[in-house]
This record gives sequence, C-alpha cells and structure tokens, in this order.
Amino acid sequence: MSLSMPLSSGPSAAQILLEALNSLRMLGRRSLLALLGIVMGSCSVVALLNIGGNAAAQSIAIFRNLGSDTLVLQLPPQPTGLDGLPLRLSVETLGRQTPAVASLSPVMTYGAAAIFNGRVGNANIIGADPALFEAARLNIASGRSLSEFDRKEAYAVIGASLAQALSLPDDPLQPGDQLRLQSYQFRVVGILQEGAPGMLLPFNANETLFIPMEGMTRINPVPQISHVVARANSAEEVIQAGEQLRQTLAQRIAGDAPVTLIFAQQILEGMQQQTRTFTYLLAALGVVSLIGGGVGVMNVMLMNVSERRREIGVRLALGARRRDIRNLFLVEAVALTSVGALLGAVLGMAGGWGYAQLSGWAFFLAPGALPLGIGSTVLVGLFFGLHPAIAASRLQPVEALRDE
Amino acid sequence: MDAGSGIGMLENNNEEQLIQLQHIGKHYRLADKTLHILGDVCLRIAHGESCAILGSSGSGKSTLLNVLGLLDLPDTGNYHLNGIDVAQASPDQLAALRNQLIGFVFQSFNLLPRLSALDNVALPLTYRGIAPRQAREQAHAMLVRVGLGERSEHRPASLSGGQRQRVAIARALVGKPALILADEPTGNLDASTAQEIMALLIELNREQGVTLIVVTHDPLIANRLARRVEVHQGLLREAGAA
Repeated sequence: MSLSMPLSSGPSAAQILLEALNSLRMLGRRSLLALLGIVMGSCSVVALLNIGGNAAAQSIAIFRNLGSDTLVLQLPPQPTGLDGLPLRLSVETLGRQTPAVASLSPVMTYGAAAIFNGRVGNANIIGADPALFEAARLNIASGRSLSEFDRKEAYAVIGASLAQALSLPDDPLQPGDQLRLQSYQFRVVGILQEGAPGMLLPFNANETLFIPMEGMTRINPVPQISHVVARANSAEEVIQAGEQLRQTLAQRIAGDAPVTLIFAQQILEGMQQQTRTFTYLLAALGVVSLIGGGVGVMNVMLMNVSERRREIGVRLALGARRRDIRNLFLVEAVALTSVGALLGAVLGMAGGWGYAQLSGWAFFLAPGALPLGIGSTVLVGLFFGLHPAIAASRLQPVEALRDE
Repeated sequence: MDAGSGIGMLENNNEEQLIQLQHIGKHYRLADKTLHILGDVCLRIAHGESCAILGSSGSGKSTLLNVLGLLDLPDTGNYHLNGIDVAQASPDQLAALRNQLIGFVFQSFNLLPRLSALDNVALPLTYRGIAPRQAREQAHAMLVRVGLGERSEHRPASLSGGQRQRVAIARALVGKPALILADEPTGNLDASTAQEIMALLIELNREQGVTLIVVTHDPLIANRLARRVEVHQGLLREAGAA
C-alpha cells in the first residue's frame, strides 16, 4: 500500500467541556429538572452525613467529659474479705499492686437527709478516700477538697446542685457551714463545680455529699464498699489498669462472684459503633435519593441523544470518532451532575446547619460529608451517563444521518 | 473488466485514481428476503475530476454515496480511497479518513443549529486536534471564500437556505479534503440559488482541483459536471460525457 492510514486525533478537553456546558444551556428546562433531582440527591447525602457526624460528635462529647482514662469496678453485693468480715481495702496497698493505675478510691454509698439551717435536702452520701477527687476528676469551686488529714474528721465536700438546694438567696451554704446528717454535724469544707452528669460513675456528683470513708460508720452501721473508681496513668493504659485492678480485687474478695469492669472507652466505642451505623443508615437513604436523581439524568441524556441523532451523524461524517461522540455526551452528563453536586452540597450544608441549630448541637463540617456527597453524586452522573453516551457512540453514521 | 486487470490497474494508478470501486455489492435482509441495493458496481474517479451520479429514488445512489463517503461499508467488493483499502481500516481510521479526505455537502445542510456559522465550519478541524483559535481563523477564511465573511457569528436559523448551504460548503472545504461529496446539494433551494451553489461547487473543483461528486436526480444539474454516471437497479453505467 503506497499511502499510510492517517492518524486520528480529537478535540481538547477544554473544547469538549465548553461544548457540553453550551449544550446543557440549550437543553433549558429539561436539564433544569434533571438538575433538580441531582441537587436533591446530593443535598440529602451531604446533609444526612453531616447530621450523622454532628450527632455522633454530640454524644461522644458527653462521654468525653468523663475522661477516657477513667475506669470503674463494680463489686459484688455485700463483698466479704478473706477474713470473713465485710471487705476493707487499703488504697496504698492496692496502688502498689496496680502500677498502671494513677489514683484510685473505694466508694461506699448511702442515702440520708442533709439538714442545713432547718432546710432538708435528699443527699446521696459517698464515703470515699481523698483520692476519689482526682480519680473521678471532681473539681472544687470554693473551699478545699478532702485530704489525708481529714480521715477522722466529720468533714464533707458537697455537690453543686445539692448545695444550691440547701441555700437561700440571703443564706447561701458556704464552706465552713455545719450540716446535720442524722445525729452528726458535718462541716462543709468545699463545694464542687457543677459538672456534666457522668454516665460512668456510680453517683451523680452534683447531688452528692462526699465524706471520708472512715466517717461512714457514723451514719451507716454496716458500710459496704460497692465500687472502686480509678484513673489509669494514660488513656492507652486503661485496659491494662482495669485488668490489674480486677485481678487484685478478685483475690481479696471471698467467693467467686465477679468484679465487673466498666471504663469510659468501652462505652465510647459502643457509642461510636452505634452512631456509625446510624450515619450509614442516613447515608444509604441519601444514596437512594441520589439514584433517583441519577435515573433523571439518564432519562434526560437518553432523550438528548435521541433528539440529536442527526447531529451525531453529522459529527461522524465530519470525522468524529466513536470516543469523541461518547465523550460529548458523557461530559454533558458529568457537567450536569457536577453542577447539581455543588448546589446540593451548599444546600446540604445549610440543611445540616439548620438541623444542628434546631437540636441545639454544635455545628461543624463532618469530615467525610463533602467529599463523599460530591464524589458519590459525580459517580452517579458518570454511571447513569455512561449508558446513553455509549448508545450514542455505537450509532452507525448512515443510520444516524437517515433519521429525520 | 475482470478482477485481475482491476488489481493491476490499482497498483499502477495509485497516484491518479482517488476512488476505485471494484465489484461493490450491498444488500439488506428484510423478512427472509435479501434486497440487493447495489449489485456489482465498479467505478474509478481520478483526482480533480467532477462527476455526477444520477438515478431515480430507490435506485441505490444514496447507498453508493454512503459507501463512497465511508458512512457505510460494502458487503462485497473492494474500495480503495486514495490508495487505501477501506476494508482494512478500523472505525477510528475511517473517522480520520472522513475527516481528512472527504467533505460532505447534504441536501438538508445539516448544520448544527446551536453553533454559529463560524463554529460549524470549524468543527471538522476540532476533530483533527487543531486548537480552537487556529480552527476559527481557518474557518473564517473559508467563510470569506464562500462569500459569508460578514455572517460568521450568525446561527444557521438566521441564514437563508442558500447561505446555509454556503456555510455547509465552507465546512466541507475547511479541512482541505481531496473529495467533495454532495448529496442533492440544491434539492432544498430555489432555482436561482441552486445555480449559484452549483457555480460555487464547480468553481472550487476547477480552481482548487478538489474532486467533486454530486448525487442528483436532476439532469440539468448533472449536465454541468464533466462526467455523469447513472445508477439503475443497483448497477452503474456511464451516461456519456458532456
């Protein structure tokens, strides 16, 4: 053969895109309707992902207050020591045997009426070691915490809400005041800061009166240790610390009733798992509406292709290759969905913000929401645009031109 | 003419012959019947020739034009365009051959309604990978050549039939093809405009040496071209020189 085949080449990407946008403009109302479907789909994916993310952050924030290094051990009811007497624990000895634990305190619980200047409040009484304030992250608002030197004293630290309940505007309860528990007078040495009600701790600190463990016998003749609250050296060591404590405690308790270990991370992880499932569910709902939008795009593109058969024929006659025709329609579909994805993302963020405002949550941009929302929308456009585009590219020039 | 001598001619005349059709057949199947559209067509057209293809409707002349324009492939026979065996070409290569060797002029103009006259003319160049600015410059020069330099930004809808066909001719010529294939180019035009369009086509054939093939059923149009062939019931015969 004396003459070689000519090389084929096509228009540049910018040209293809420009032509696609122009063509979409010409499609007018019909592409607007398809756009609307895509906007709704993209909007719901972005909004739902963001709402899910914010909901997760909100519930995790509640647990974060506890500190993920806190752990609680629940002892069996009426624990008995190896000597047959009610269980007693030495914080010092326990601390030596559990190197991963930073601070710990046994906890005794009792309920009694607290009376201040004739006003009565229902107090949850906790008898604990002074180390409890550090182990459970209890912060003092005024006065001071209980100390090692208070063990034999009738001193108390009071929770913020309980203090409030016993106060009058002109007669507030202050450090130094005397409280009556049954027949004993306790001196209030400190008032706690108001804190989020911890879901991990066996008490609500706001409603509680803390007294030295040694003083519990004054109001409860048979005090029992119900829990041990501890804090690990760090969040990474919390599981190790929990295990050390559980084993040490199990050795000191007669019988084989189990010691249950609860730590914040455990709850946190369960919580995260749950919200993740919730987010996926919401995202799946968004994807369903996105697919609805995708079908709309396919519909408008198929109509577009069948209306422009003659144009396809002309372009083929002028030297367009199959891939040029395919790209022509594919770029149109993707351009349409990209515009829809961006509009939907803006609307979706607005929707997520509005929902957070209504729910009283802190709004923030969930990390996956925008890329996942926009990405999945463009993928849907590509997927549903592919069929019409390939159908267009498979037209034979003579058939396309014959069409009137 | 037998097949052996035909191949011999091909080898000898590659440089002169633009089109060589040898025993081209095309048929369609329709409900167990085979319809022979083209029977055994042999045709040679040299570079620079002008030729009319005559025939009544249904004679197969449109199918012949589609085969010549690489819009349809024959079922039997060989087609060499500019020395290239069309049967060996891939779809992409066929597209490139259409783009570089052939310019189409259709009866119904087939301009893209959404593009300006200038962009319509520039379209074949973009399928050649020529940058838009350069393509538009060449397209404008070609519009000036067909007398429509002032109207390059008009959409086809705001042009008259004659003007639209001039745009279509500019589009066919902009890629400097070896062959213009015109399918009833004056079929939708009034008599005087038809004369102008035919005059333009013939002038281009004479001045630029581009090979011109016009499909028509009108003997008056056909008579303006140097050579006439007639398609009748799928067969081709020379209709005599002008």
